[in-house]
Amino acid sequence: MAAERPAGTARGDDMTGTGRLGVGIGWRPEIDLTVERLPGVDFVEVVAENIRPGDLPESLRVLRGRGLPVIPHGVGLGLGGAEPPDPDRLTHLADCARALDAPLVSEHLAFVRAGGMEAGHLLPVPRTRAALAVVADNVRRAQAALPVPLALENVAALFGWPDDEMTEAEFLGELVETTGVGLLVDVANLYTNQINLGLPAVGALDALPLSELAYVHVAGGHLHHGVWHDTHTARVPGEVLEILAELRARVDPPGVLLEWDGDYPGDDVLEAELGRIREAMARA
Amino acid sequence: MPDPVNHPAPSPGSGPAPSPAPGAVNGPVSAPSAGPGAVNGPVSGSVPDPRAELARAQAELLAALVAGGEPPRGFDEGRLRIQAASLISKRRGVVARIRPDLVALLGAAGFAAEFDAYARGRPKPPGGSRVDARDFAERLRAAGHPLPEPAPEPPAGRRRWARFTRALRDLPPVLPTRVKGLGRGWAGRPR
Repeated sequence: MAAERPAGTARGDDMTGTGRLGVGIGWRPEIDLTVERLPGVDFVEVVAENIRPGDLPESLRVLRGRGLPVIPHGVGLGLGGAEPPDPDRLTHLADCARALDAPLVSEHLAFVRAGGMEAGHLLPVPRTRAALAVVADNVRRAQAALPVPLALENVAALFGWPDDEMTEAEFLGELVETTGVGLLVDVANLYTNQINLGLPAVGALDALPLSELAYVHVAGGHLHHGVWHDTHTARVPGEVLEILAELRARVDPPGVLLEWDGDYPGDDVLEAELGRIREAMARA
Repeated sequence: MPDPVNHPAPSPGSGPAPSPAPGAVNGPVSAPSAGPGAVNGPVSGSVPDPRAELARAQAELLAALVAGGEPPRGFDEGRLRIQAASLISKRRGVVARIRPDLVALLGAAGFAAEFDAYARGRPKPPGGSRVDARDFAERLRAAGHPLPEPAPEPPAGRRRWARFTRALRDLPPVLPTRVKGLGRGWAGRPR
Protein backbone atom coordinates (compact mmCIF):
# COMPACT_ATOMS: atom_id res chain seq x y z
CA MET A 1 0.00 0.00 0.00
CA ALA A 2 3.04 2.26 -0.06
CA ALA A 3 2.65 2.91 -3.79
CA GLU A 4 1.95 6.46 -4.84
CA ARG A 5 -1.42 7.17 -6.38
CA PRO A 6 -1.31 7.42 -10.15
CA ALA A 7 -1.25 11.10 -11.04
CA GLY A 8 -4.63 10.95 -12.73
CA THR A 9 -6.41 9.86 -9.59
CA ALA A 10 -4.80 12.20 -7.09
CA ARG A 11 -8.01 14.23 -6.98
CA GLY A 12 -9.68 11.40 -5.07
CA ASP A 13 -7.64 12.19 -1.97
CA ASP A 14 -8.59 15.83 -2.10
CA MET A 15 -12.26 15.16 -2.76
CA THR A 16 -12.72 12.59 -0.04
CA GLY A 17 -10.19 13.92 2.42
CA THR A 18 -9.16 10.40 3.33
CA GLY A 19 -5.52 10.41 2.36
CA ARG A 20 -3.98 6.94 2.55
CA LEU A 21 -5.87 4.51 4.75
CA GLY A 22 -4.23 1.20 3.86
CA VAL A 23 -5.71 -2.18 4.79
CA GLY A 24 -8.24 -2.33 7.61
CA ILE A 25 -10.87 -4.38 9.38
CA GLY A 26 -14.31 -3.62 10.75
CA TRP A 27 -13.96 -3.09 14.52
CA ARG A 28 -16.63 -5.00 16.48
CA PRO A 29 -16.85 -5.29 20.28
CA GLU A 30 -16.61 -9.10 20.02
CA ILE A 31 -13.16 -8.90 18.38
CA ASP A 32 -11.84 -5.71 19.97
CA LEU A 33 -8.68 -7.28 21.40
CA THR A 34 -8.09 -9.22 18.20
CA VAL A 35 -8.24 -6.04 16.15
CA GLU A 36 -5.80 -4.35 18.55
CA ARG A 37 -3.18 -7.10 18.24
CA LEU A 38 -3.61 -8.13 14.58
CA PRO A 39 -0.53 -7.17 12.62
CA GLY A 40 -1.02 -5.07 9.51
CA VAL A 41 -4.21 -3.24 10.48
CA ASP A 42 -3.85 0.32 9.16
CA PHE A 43 -7.38 1.59 9.89
CA VAL A 44 -10.74 0.45 11.24
CA GLU A 45 -14.39 1.23 10.81
CA VAL A 46 -17.00 1.24 13.58
CA VAL A 47 -20.78 0.97 13.23
CA ALA A 48 -21.81 4.45 14.29
CA GLU A 49 -25.15 3.36 15.76
CA ASN A 50 -23.35 1.04 18.20
CA ILE A 51 -21.21 3.63 19.97
CA ARG A 52 -21.75 6.67 22.16
CA PRO A 53 -19.45 9.54 21.17
CA GLY A 54 -19.18 10.66 24.81
CA ASP A 55 -18.28 7.18 26.07
CA LEU A 56 -16.15 5.55 23.38
CA PRO A 57 -15.15 1.91 23.85
CA GLU A 58 -11.74 1.62 25.47
CA SER A 59 -10.46 -0.34 22.48
CA LEU A 60 -11.22 2.48 20.05
CA ARG A 61 -9.40 4.90 22.32
CA VAL A 62 -6.40 2.56 22.29
CA LEU A 63 -6.46 2.44 18.49
CA ARG A 64 -6.87 6.21 18.18
CA GLY A 65 -3.98 6.60 20.62
CA ARG A 66 -1.82 4.70 18.15
CA GLY A 67 -2.91 7.09 15.42
CA LEU A 68 -5.10 4.62 13.53
CA PRO A 69 -7.92 6.28 11.58
CA VAL A 70 -11.37 5.15 12.80
CA ILE A 71 -14.23 5.70 10.34
CA PRO A 72 -17.82 5.90 11.64
CA HIS A 73 -19.95 3.74 9.35
CA GLY A 74 -23.68 4.48 9.54
CA VAL A 75 -26.27 1.80 8.84
CA GLY A 76 -29.47 3.50 9.96
CA LEU A 77 -29.65 6.89 8.25
CA GLY A 78 -31.57 5.57 5.26
CA LEU A 79 -30.37 8.16 2.75
CA GLY A 80 -32.26 6.27 0.06
CA GLY A 81 -35.54 6.76 1.92
CA ALA A 82 -38.41 9.09 1.18
CA GLU A 83 -37.97 11.06 4.41
CA PRO A 84 -35.17 13.60 4.82
CA PRO A 85 -32.45 12.13 7.06
CA ASP A 86 -33.38 12.31 10.74
CA PRO A 87 -31.63 15.32 12.41
CA ASP A 88 -30.90 13.32 15.59
CA ARG A 89 -29.22 10.57 13.60
CA LEU A 90 -27.20 13.15 11.65
CA THR A 91 -26.11 14.80 14.89
CA HIS A 92 -25.03 11.41 16.24
CA LEU A 93 -22.99 10.68 13.11
CA ALA A 94 -21.39 14.12 13.25
CA ASP A 95 -20.57 13.67 16.96
CA CYS A 96 -19.00 10.28 16.20
CA ALA A 97 -16.83 11.85 13.51
CA ARG A 98 -15.67 14.57 15.92
CA ALA A 99 -15.08 12.20 18.85
CA LEU A 100 -12.97 9.91 16.67
CA ASP A 101 -11.34 12.74 14.72
CA ALA A 102 -12.40 10.75 11.66
CA PRO A 103 -11.24 11.66 8.16
CA LEU A 104 -14.70 10.86 6.76
CA VAL A 105 -17.93 9.02 7.52
CA SER A 106 -19.72 6.48 5.34
CA GLU A 107 -23.30 5.36 4.78
CA HIS A 108 -25.28 3.42 2.18
CA LEU A 109 -27.35 3.99 -0.92
CA ALA A 110 -30.32 2.23 0.67
CA PHE A 111 -33.60 2.68 2.47
CA VAL A 112 -34.06 1.10 5.88
CA ARG A 113 -37.56 2.19 6.93
CA ALA A 114 -40.82 3.22 5.35
CA GLY A 115 -44.43 3.64 6.38
CA GLY A 116 -43.47 3.47 10.07
CA MET A 117 -41.79 0.07 9.63
CA GLU A 118 -38.12 -0.79 10.16
CA ALA A 119 -36.54 -3.11 7.60
CA GLY A 120 -33.56 -3.95 9.81
CA HIS A 121 -31.61 -4.15 6.59
CA LEU A 122 -30.25 -2.07 3.72
CA LEU A 123 -32.80 -2.34 0.92
CA PRO A 124 -32.23 -1.16 -2.65
CA VAL A 125 -33.70 2.12 -3.84
CA PRO A 126 -35.82 2.35 -6.99
CA ARG A 127 -33.35 3.78 -9.47
CA THR A 128 -35.55 6.29 -11.24
CA ARG A 129 -34.91 9.95 -12.07
CA ALA A 130 -37.59 10.95 -9.56
CA ALA A 131 -35.98 8.91 -6.77
CA LEU A 132 -32.55 10.28 -7.71
CA ALA A 133 -33.75 13.83 -7.01
CA VAL A 134 -34.96 12.80 -3.55
CA VAL A 135 -31.80 10.86 -2.67
CA ALA A 136 -29.53 13.67 -3.92
CA ASP A 137 -31.41 16.07 -1.68
CA ASN A 138 -31.03 13.69 1.28
CA VAL A 139 -27.30 13.44 0.60
CA ARG A 140 -26.94 17.24 0.48
CA ARG A 141 -28.74 17.55 3.82
CA ALA A 142 -26.39 14.97 5.34
CA GLN A 143 -23.33 16.69 3.93
CA ALA A 144 -24.51 20.01 5.37
CA ALA A 145 -24.79 18.43 8.84
CA LEU A 146 -21.46 16.56 8.84
CA PRO A 147 -18.07 18.06 9.73
CA VAL A 148 -16.21 15.69 7.36
CA PRO A 149 -16.78 14.28 3.85
CA LEU A 150 -19.41 11.57 3.32
CA ALA A 151 -18.94 8.43 1.23
CA LEU A 152 -21.83 6.27 0.00
CA GLU A 153 -21.71 2.50 -0.36
CA ASN A 154 -23.36 0.30 -2.99
CA VAL A 155 -25.56 -2.42 -1.45
CA ALA A 156 -26.12 -6.14 -1.95
CA ALA A 157 -29.57 -6.88 -3.31
CA LEU A 158 -31.76 -9.95 -3.57
CA PHE A 159 -34.28 -8.26 -5.87
CA GLY A 160 -34.61 -5.30 -8.21
CA TRP A 161 -37.35 -2.71 -8.66
CA PRO A 162 -39.44 -3.20 -11.79
CA ASP A 163 -39.23 0.47 -12.77
CA ASP A 164 -35.44 0.87 -12.52
CA GLU A 165 -34.17 3.28 -15.18
CA MET A 166 -30.48 3.11 -14.25
CA THR A 167 -27.95 0.63 -12.93
CA GLU A 168 -26.73 1.18 -9.37
CA ALA A 169 -23.37 2.31 -10.77
CA GLU A 170 -25.08 4.92 -12.97
CA PHE A 171 -27.25 6.06 -10.05
CA LEU A 172 -24.20 6.43 -7.79
CA GLY A 173 -22.38 8.20 -10.61
CA GLU A 174 -25.20 10.76 -10.84
CA LEU A 175 -25.11 11.25 -7.06
CA VAL A 176 -21.35 11.81 -7.11
CA GLU A 177 -21.74 14.24 -9.99
CA THR A 178 -24.52 16.30 -8.42
CA THR A 179 -23.54 16.22 -4.72
CA GLY A 180 -19.78 15.58 -4.65
CA VAL A 181 -20.33 12.61 -2.33
CA GLY A 182 -17.48 10.08 -2.17
CA LEU A 183 -17.70 6.39 -3.04
CA LEU A 184 -17.35 3.37 -0.80
CA VAL A 185 -17.28 0.44 -3.21
CA ASP A 186 -18.18 -2.91 -1.65
CA VAL A 187 -16.80 -5.52 -4.04
CA ALA A 188 -18.62 -8.31 -2.17
CA ASN A 189 -21.89 -6.50 -2.86
CA LEU A 190 -20.98 -6.25 -6.54
CA TYR A 191 -20.37 -10.00 -6.47
CA THR A 192 -23.70 -10.58 -4.70
CA ASN A 193 -25.56 -8.63 -7.38
CA GLN A 194 -23.70 -10.52 -10.09
CA ILE A 195 -24.80 -13.88 -8.66
CA ASN A 196 -28.33 -12.89 -7.64
CA LEU A 197 -29.32 -10.41 -10.31
CA GLY A 198 -26.97 -11.21 -13.19
CA LEU A 199 -25.37 -7.75 -13.07
CA PRO A 200 -21.71 -8.01 -14.14
CA ALA A 201 -19.42 -6.72 -11.38
CA VAL A 202 -16.70 -5.65 -13.79
CA GLY A 203 -19.29 -3.70 -15.77
CA ALA A 204 -20.20 -1.85 -12.57
CA LEU A 205 -16.52 -1.05 -11.96
CA ASP A 206 -16.32 0.42 -15.46
CA ALA A 207 -19.39 2.60 -14.85
CA LEU A 208 -18.53 3.89 -11.36
CA PRO A 209 -16.62 7.19 -11.00
CA LEU A 210 -13.65 5.48 -9.31
CA SER A 211 -11.67 8.73 -9.14
CA GLU A 212 -13.96 9.61 -6.21
CA LEU A 213 -13.26 6.34 -4.38
CA ALA A 214 -12.82 6.78 -0.62
CA TYR A 215 -12.26 3.13 0.26
CA VAL A 216 -13.36 -0.42 -0.47
CA HIS A 217 -15.23 -3.12 1.46
CA VAL A 218 -14.45 -6.83 1.13
CA ALA A 219 -16.41 -9.65 2.80
CA GLY A 220 -17.45 -13.28 2.58
CA GLY A 221 -20.89 -14.87 2.50
CA HIS A 222 -22.79 -18.06 1.76
CA LEU A 223 -24.46 -19.57 -1.28
CA HIS A 224 -27.89 -20.98 -0.38
CA HIS A 225 -30.07 -22.57 -3.09
CA GLY A 226 -28.30 -20.59 -5.80
CA VAL A 227 -28.68 -17.25 -3.97
CA TRP A 228 -25.64 -15.50 -2.50
CA HIS A 229 -26.18 -14.18 1.03
CA ASP A 230 -23.70 -11.46 1.97
CA THR A 231 -23.41 -12.54 5.61
CA HIS A 232 -19.90 -11.26 6.48
CA THR A 233 -19.38 -14.49 8.43
CA ALA A 234 -17.06 -16.46 6.15
CA ARG A 235 -13.76 -16.24 4.32
CA VAL A 236 -13.72 -14.00 1.28
CA PRO A 237 -14.33 -16.09 -1.86
CA GLY A 238 -11.69 -15.96 -4.57
CA GLU A 239 -14.21 -14.42 -6.96
CA VAL A 240 -14.60 -11.38 -4.69
CA LEU A 241 -10.81 -10.98 -4.51
CA GLU A 242 -10.73 -11.13 -8.31
CA ILE A 243 -13.17 -8.21 -8.44
CA LEU A 244 -10.89 -6.39 -5.98
CA ALA A 245 -7.95 -7.03 -8.31
CA GLU A 246 -10.04 -5.73 -11.23
CA LEU A 247 -10.78 -2.59 -9.24
CA ARG A 248 -7.08 -2.22 -8.38
CA ALA A 249 -6.27 -2.44 -12.08
CA ARG A 250 -8.41 0.67 -12.60
CA VAL A 251 -7.56 2.76 -9.54
CA ASP A 252 -5.30 2.64 -6.48
CA PRO A 253 -7.87 2.64 -3.66
CA PRO A 254 -6.97 4.79 -0.63
CA GLY A 255 -8.11 1.93 1.62
CA VAL A 256 -9.49 -1.63 1.63
CA LEU A 257 -11.40 -2.96 4.64
CA LEU A 258 -12.45 -6.49 5.62
CA GLU A 259 -15.93 -6.83 7.13
CA TRP A 260 -16.61 -9.77 9.47
CA ASP A 261 -19.82 -9.72 11.51
CA GLY A 262 -20.39 -12.95 13.37
CA ASP A 263 -19.15 -16.55 13.76
CA TYR A 264 -15.81 -14.94 14.49
CA PRO A 265 -12.81 -17.09 13.64
CA GLY A 266 -9.40 -17.12 15.33
CA ASP A 267 -6.89 -14.34 14.92
CA ASP A 268 -4.92 -16.45 12.44
CA VAL A 269 -7.86 -16.64 10.02
CA LEU A 270 -8.46 -12.88 10.10
CA GLU A 271 -4.75 -12.24 9.66
CA ALA A 272 -4.71 -14.59 6.67
CA GLU A 273 -7.71 -12.81 5.15
CA LEU A 274 -5.92 -9.46 5.40
CA GLY A 275 -2.96 -11.14 3.70
CA ARG A 276 -5.19 -12.40 0.87
CA ILE A 277 -6.51 -8.86 0.39
CA ARG A 278 -2.95 -7.52 0.14
CA GLU A 279 -2.07 -10.28 -2.30
CA ALA A 280 -5.07 -9.45 -4.52
CA MET A 281 -4.06 -5.78 -4.47
CA ALA A 282 -0.53 -6.68 -5.55
CA ARG A 283 -1.84 -8.83 -8.41
CA ALA A 284 -2.91 -5.89 -10.55
CA MET B 1 -24.69 -5.11 6.98
CA PRO B 2 -23.52 -4.97 10.55
CA ASP B 3 -26.37 -4.63 12.99
CA PRO B 4 -26.92 -1.69 15.23
CA VAL B 5 -27.76 -3.57 18.40
CA ASN B 6 -27.29 -1.08 21.16
CA HIS B 7 -29.17 1.94 19.99
CA PRO B 8 -32.79 2.05 19.02
CA ALA B 9 -33.83 3.63 15.80
CA PRO B 10 -35.75 6.82 16.36
CA SER B 11 -39.21 6.36 15.00
CA PRO B 12 -39.78 8.20 11.75
CA GLY B 13 -40.70 11.78 12.29
CA SER B 14 -39.70 11.68 15.95
CA GLY B 15 -37.31 14.60 15.86
CA PRO B 16 -38.06 18.22 15.10
CA ALA B 17 -38.78 19.04 11.50
CA PRO B 18 -35.45 19.48 9.73
CA SER B 19 -34.66 22.81 8.24
CA PRO B 20 -34.43 22.39 4.50
CA ALA B 21 -30.96 22.48 3.04
CA PRO B 22 -30.26 24.45 -0.14
CA GLY B 23 -31.80 22.64 -3.05
CA ALA B 24 -34.37 20.90 -0.90
CA VAL B 25 -36.98 18.49 -2.19
CA ASN B 26 -39.24 19.35 0.63
CA GLY B 27 -42.91 19.90 0.55
CA PRO B 28 -45.39 20.14 -2.24
CA VAL B 29 -43.72 20.59 -5.56
CA SER B 30 -45.77 23.67 -6.28
CA ALA B 31 -43.98 25.59 -3.51
CA PRO B 32 -42.48 28.53 -5.39
CA SER B 33 -39.84 29.54 -2.84
CA ALA B 34 -37.58 26.49 -3.09
CA GLY B 35 -33.92 27.36 -3.55
CA PRO B 36 -31.69 26.73 -6.53
CA GLY B 37 -31.42 23.11 -7.53
CA ALA B 38 -34.69 22.22 -5.86
CA VAL B 39 -37.06 19.69 -7.26
CA ASN B 40 -39.86 22.20 -7.59
CA GLY B 41 -41.74 20.72 -10.46
CA PRO B 42 -42.93 17.28 -11.42
CA VAL B 43 -39.88 15.20 -12.28
CA SER B 44 -41.88 13.10 -14.64
CA GLY B 45 -45.23 14.25 -15.88
CA SER B 46 -47.37 11.89 -13.84
CA VAL B 47 -45.57 12.19 -10.49
CA PRO B 48 -46.59 15.28 -8.57
CA ASP B 49 -44.37 14.87 -5.50
CA PRO B 50 -41.24 12.70 -5.68
CA ARG B 51 -41.00 12.23 -1.90
CA ALA B 52 -44.63 11.18 -1.56
CA GLU B 53 -44.38 8.78 -4.48
CA LEU B 54 -41.15 7.25 -3.12
CA ALA B 55 -42.71 6.95 0.35
CA ARG B 56 -45.73 5.14 -1.06
CA ALA B 57 -43.65 2.72 -3.15
CA GLN B 58 -41.18 1.92 -0.36
CA ALA B 59 -43.92 1.46 2.26
CA GLU B 60 -45.84 -0.88 -0.04
CA LEU B 61 -42.74 -2.96 -0.68
CA LEU B 62 -41.67 -3.02 2.97
CA ALA B 63 -45.16 -4.08 4.07
CA ALA B 64 -44.88 -7.04 1.70
CA LEU B 65 -41.47 -7.92 3.15
CA VAL B 66 -42.12 -7.57 6.88
CA ALA B 67 -45.85 -7.13 7.55
CA GLY B 68 -47.55 -9.76 5.44
CA GLY B 69 -48.67 -7.28 2.76
CA GLU B 70 -49.38 -8.14 -0.86
CA PRO B 71 -46.33 -8.03 -3.14
CA PRO B 72 -46.42 -4.84 -5.22
CA ARG B 73 -46.99 -5.31 -8.94
CA GLY B 74 -44.02 -6.04 -11.15
CA PHE B 75 -41.70 -7.51 -8.50
CA ASP B 76 -40.31 -11.03 -8.65
CA GLU B 77 -42.43 -12.60 -5.91
CA GLY B 78 -40.04 -15.49 -5.39
CA ARG B 79 -37.24 -13.04 -4.69
CA LEU B 80 -39.40 -11.06 -2.28
CA ARG B 81 -40.11 -14.27 -0.37
CA ILE B 82 -36.37 -14.98 -0.16
CA GLN B 83 -35.76 -11.40 1.03
CA ALA B 84 -38.53 -11.68 3.64
CA ALA B 85 -37.08 -14.94 4.97
CA SER B 86 -33.61 -13.41 4.99
CA LEU B 87 -34.83 -10.43 7.04
CA ILE B 88 -36.34 -12.76 9.64
CA SER B 89 -33.19 -14.87 9.69
CA LYS B 90 -31.12 -11.76 10.32
CA ARG B 91 -33.41 -10.61 13.14
CA ARG B 92 -33.26 -14.12 14.63
CA GLY B 93 -29.45 -14.10 14.57
CA VAL B 94 -29.25 -10.78 16.38
CA VAL B 95 -31.82 -11.82 19.00
CA ALA B 96 -29.92 -15.09 19.52
CA ARG B 97 -26.77 -13.06 20.27
CA ILE B 98 -28.63 -10.78 22.69
CA ARG B 99 -30.47 -13.65 24.46
CA PRO B 100 -28.36 -16.83 24.29
CA ASP B 101 -30.40 -18.04 27.27
CA LEU B 102 -33.44 -18.34 25.00
CA VAL B 103 -31.50 -20.46 22.51
CA ALA B 104 -30.33 -22.67 25.39
CA LEU B 105 -33.90 -22.96 26.67
CA LEU B 106 -35.52 -23.88 23.35
CA GLY B 107 -32.65 -25.56 21.51
CA ALA B 108 -31.46 -24.21 18.17
CA ALA B 109 -34.30 -25.70 16.12
CA GLY B 110 -36.96 -24.77 18.65
CA PHE B 111 -35.62 -21.23 18.90
CA ALA B 112 -35.70 -20.85 15.10
CA ALA B 113 -39.26 -22.18 14.83
CA GLU B 114 -40.56 -20.05 17.71
CA PHE B 115 -38.82 -16.92 16.44
CA ASP B 116 -40.07 -17.38 12.88
CA ALA B 117 -43.62 -17.80 14.17
CA TYR B 118 -43.20 -14.62 16.23
CA ALA B 119 -41.61 -12.53 13.46
CA ARG B 120 -43.66 -13.53 10.42
CA GLY B 121 -45.89 -10.61 9.49
CA ARG B 122 -44.62 -8.58 12.48
CA PRO B 123 -42.16 -5.79 11.62
CA LYS B 124 -39.09 -5.27 13.73
CA PRO B 125 -40.17 -2.85 16.50
CA PRO B 126 -38.98 0.77 16.30
CA GLY B 127 -36.89 0.29 19.45
CA GLY B 128 -34.43 -1.97 17.60
CA SER B 129 -33.08 -5.44 18.24
CA ARG B 130 -33.14 -5.22 22.04
CA VAL B 131 -36.84 -4.44 21.96
CA ASP B 132 -37.30 -7.24 19.41
CA ALA B 133 -35.58 -9.63 21.84
CA ARG B 134 -37.70 -8.40 24.74
CA ASP B 135 -40.96 -8.74 22.77
CA PHE B 136 -40.00 -12.25 21.68
CA ALA B 137 -39.19 -13.23 25.28
CA GLU B 138 -42.53 -11.79 26.42
CA ARG B 139 -44.31 -13.91 23.85
CA LEU B 140 -42.49 -17.01 25.08
CA ARG B 141 -43.31 -16.16 28.67
CA ALA B 142 -46.98 -15.64 27.77
CA ALA B 143 -46.94 -19.07 26.10
CA GLY B 144 -45.85 -20.60 29.39
CA HIS B 145 -42.09 -20.97 28.91
CA PRO B 146 -40.25 -20.55 32.24
CA LEU B 147 -38.00 -17.53 31.63
CA PRO B 148 -35.74 -15.79 34.14
CA GLU B 149 -35.76 -12.01 34.21
CA PRO B 150 -33.11 -10.69 31.79
CA ALA B 151 -29.95 -9.43 33.45
CA PRO B 152 -29.44 -5.66 33.24
CA GLU B 153 -26.50 -4.37 31.20
CA PRO B 154 -23.36 -4.06 33.37
CA PRO B 155 -22.25 -0.50 34.17
CA ALA B 156 -19.27 0.98 32.32
CA GLY B 157 -16.86 0.39 35.20
CA ARG B 158 -17.58 -3.33 35.20
CA ARG B 159 -17.30 -3.44 31.40
CA ARG B 160 -13.80 -2.00 31.66
CA TRP B 161 -12.86 -4.54 34.35
CA ALA B 162 -14.20 -7.34 32.15
CA ARG B 163 -12.09 -6.05 29.29
CA PHE B 164 -9.02 -5.94 31.53
CA THR B 165 -9.48 -9.51 32.74
CA ARG B 166 -10.16 -10.66 29.19
CA ALA B 167 -6.93 -9.00 28.07
CA LEU B 168 -5.03 -10.86 30.83
CA ARG B 169 -6.61 -14.14 29.81
CA ASP B 170 -5.61 -13.55 26.18
CA LEU B 171 -1.95 -12.87 27.03
CA PRO B 172 0.40 -15.34 25.39
CA PRO B 173 2.23 -17.53 27.90
CA VAL B 174 5.48 -15.57 27.89
CA LEU B 175 6.60 -17.03 31.19
CA PRO B 176 7.42 -20.71 31.54
CA THR B 177 4.34 -22.68 32.43
CA ARG B 178 6.35 -24.83 34.81
CA VAL B 179 9.02 -23.34 37.01
CA LYS B 180 11.31 -25.57 38.98
CA GLY B 181 10.39 -25.50 42.60
CA LEU B 182 7.01 -23.90 42.09
CA GLY B 183 5.20 -27.05 41.21
CA ARG B 184 2.34 -26.56 38.81
CA GLY B 185 2.61 -23.82 36.18
CA TRP B 186 1.09 -20.52 37.12
CA ALA B 187 1.72 -18.12 34.28
CA GLY B 188 0.33 -19.89 31.29
CA ARG B 189 -3.19 -20.53 30.30
CA PRO B 190 -4.63 -23.41 28.31
CA ARG B 191 -4.96 -22.35 24.68
